[in-house]
Amino acid sequence: MDKDSIRFSPAEQTALKRADSHKNPRRKSKRNPGRSMFIALYLAPALILYAVFVVWPLIQAFQFSMYRWSGLSNQSTMIGLDNFRALAHDDHFWNALKHNIWLEIVIGVLVVILSLVVAHALIAKGSSVKWLRGVILFPQMMSLIVVAILWMFIYNPQFGLLNAIFGALHMPGDQKTWLGKPDTALAAVGIAFAWYAVGFYAMLFAAGLSGIPAEVNEAAELDGAVGLQKFFKVTWANLWAMKRIVAVHLTITVLNVFVLVFIMTSGGPDRATDVLLTYLYERAFTDSNFGYATAIAVANFAVAMVLTLIILKAIGRDPTEARDFKRLKT
Amino acid sequence: MNKALRQTAFALLYISILGPMLWMFISSIKPGYEIVSSPWSLPNPVHLINYSKAWNENGLGHAFTNSILICVGALIILLPAGAMAAYVLARYPFKGSQIIFGTFLGGMMFPFFLVMVPLFFLMTQIHLFDTKIGLILVYVGFSLSFTVFVLTGFFQTLPNELAEAAMLDGCNDHATFWKVMLPLAKPGILVVGVFNAIGLWNEYGLALVLMPSPQNRTLPLGIANLASTQQYGSDWGALFAGLVIAVVPVLAVYWLFRNEIHRTMMAGALKG
Repeated sequence: MDKDSIRFSPAEQTALKRADSHKNPRRKSKRNPGRSMFIALYLAPALILYAVFVVWPLIQAFQFSMYRWSGLSNQSTMIGLDNFRALAHDDHFWNALKHNIWLEIVIGVLVVILSLVVAHALIAKGSSVKWLRGVILFPQMMSLIVVAILWMFIYNPQFGLLNAIFGALHMPGDQKTWLGKPDTALAAVGIAFAWYAVGFYAMLFAAGLSGIPAEVNEAAELDGAVGLQKFFKVTWANLWAMKRIVAVHLTITVLNVFVLVFIMTSGGPDRATDVLLTYLYERAFTDSNFGYATAIAVANFAVAMVLTLIILKAIGRDPTEARDFKRLKT
Repeated sequence: MNKALRQTAFALLYISILGPMLWMFISSIKPGYEIVSSPWSLPNPVHLINYSKAWNENGLGHAFTNSILICVGALIILLPAGAMAAYVLARYPFKGSQIIFGTFLGGMMFPFFLVMVPLFFLMTQIHLFDTKIGLILVYVGFSLSFTVFVLTGFFQTLPNELAEAAMLDGCNDHATFWKVMLPLAKPGILVVGVFNAIGLWNEYGLALVLMPSPQNRTLPLGIANLASTQQYGSDWGALFAGLVIAVVPVLAVYWLFRNEIHRTMMAGALKG
């Protein structure tokens, strides 16, 4: 992530400039020890809570990952990178990672496509759209627990909605145990995730779509670009900034999918839906192998970082910028 | 033709979002055997006993109270602590204030799973494991990133002149904050409060690890427990009622504040 964009938003920049002006409270603070006290006092509650419950455990996580530890304090042994070496030879770990990557690619692409379609619906005009903007985030507002259980019922072989639909249409697939079969379970969980997540990304894409200047669309239409052609040649290119945000956000969200898998399948049947975080949970709280579990968490985080960097590299440049530059020269 | 296609597309979209939820509501007022035998039928007669079963016999009433206590408790600590820190970070730049702001922001990047195991032991060590106050403090810690981020931005948009005028009128730093700036920041604090309340109400992972005993269950834990016990009892009606109990408060709050929530979610993601 770009350092400057995080540290200095425009609003902060003005704040910084303000800090240099003569009315700057900081300059006063040299004369006024009360002000330093004020600053310290007001920052303290948040900083202490944040340091104790977030920063300190975070530091410990990297430390723990280098220990063999079963939870009893006198039985921890520093083993350096051995946990990571063991991970590299752990079939269950690779199996879980494979499912994460499968979800990233298949479900990630599905979510992006659906979100783009829904985004077009969201920026359409008319009475049918008015309610859509409110309704679209309903799934996202529900607890993932509720989403998980609701979809378990939808997939239920006896009375689930899905089999009822198949039955009503007299299609094969009736009476199928979607979550119970290794070949359909992961996809079934992924589709529940898509139902949950699409609304949010659709809203982001909708914001991106309405940010495309009207002239760009008009020019494209004058040039005879319509429908899908216009979408791929014009719209898709102009969404670059939003694509970047969606891709990074979605990648990290999918990688951290836990509740859905944990509740819907617990990684089963026969590890067919195991993902890194369910495997981590099993290692930590079923096997009490806490050091190893933390190593999985660190590996999970490393995967997130690598994927994020790849995405930022791939969608890193503003394609319209280059074009403007050329136009200026000619 | 084109119009018909459009209408169909919109109808499909509405059905795929609302269909499963509607099914959940309808099933929650049907007796268990009817859910199994005729999933499509409308309830006849309305079977409200599911709700009293879920609420009383299955302990969701107790879990509901726990969830309220924990949400409210977390907000009572989070909002003042977050607002005070954000105010200082927004209006009293000092050496290192950018680093502190960056540290708060950085927290949004790390998934809680990274700290799951260390947190489990930390809470045991400081005797806050499996206590409401313990979960409240952890929730506050994990909500601070987003809260400080949004509120800092909010305080920066407030006109500087007001604070200066208050100072000239003889307010000191404390009075300026509590009497002038904080009331002005109410809309921002409201949004952050609603946003965090929804997130904490729905939270499952941290509660799962930190709150094992049944009497401490939050609503998501209570529902997960109900789901796993009903697999043997197969009283599906009560479980559907439980889902509705968990969802309705959130959807109501969301509907009231939906425009603000949309804006805040966008801001959070755009920081990304």
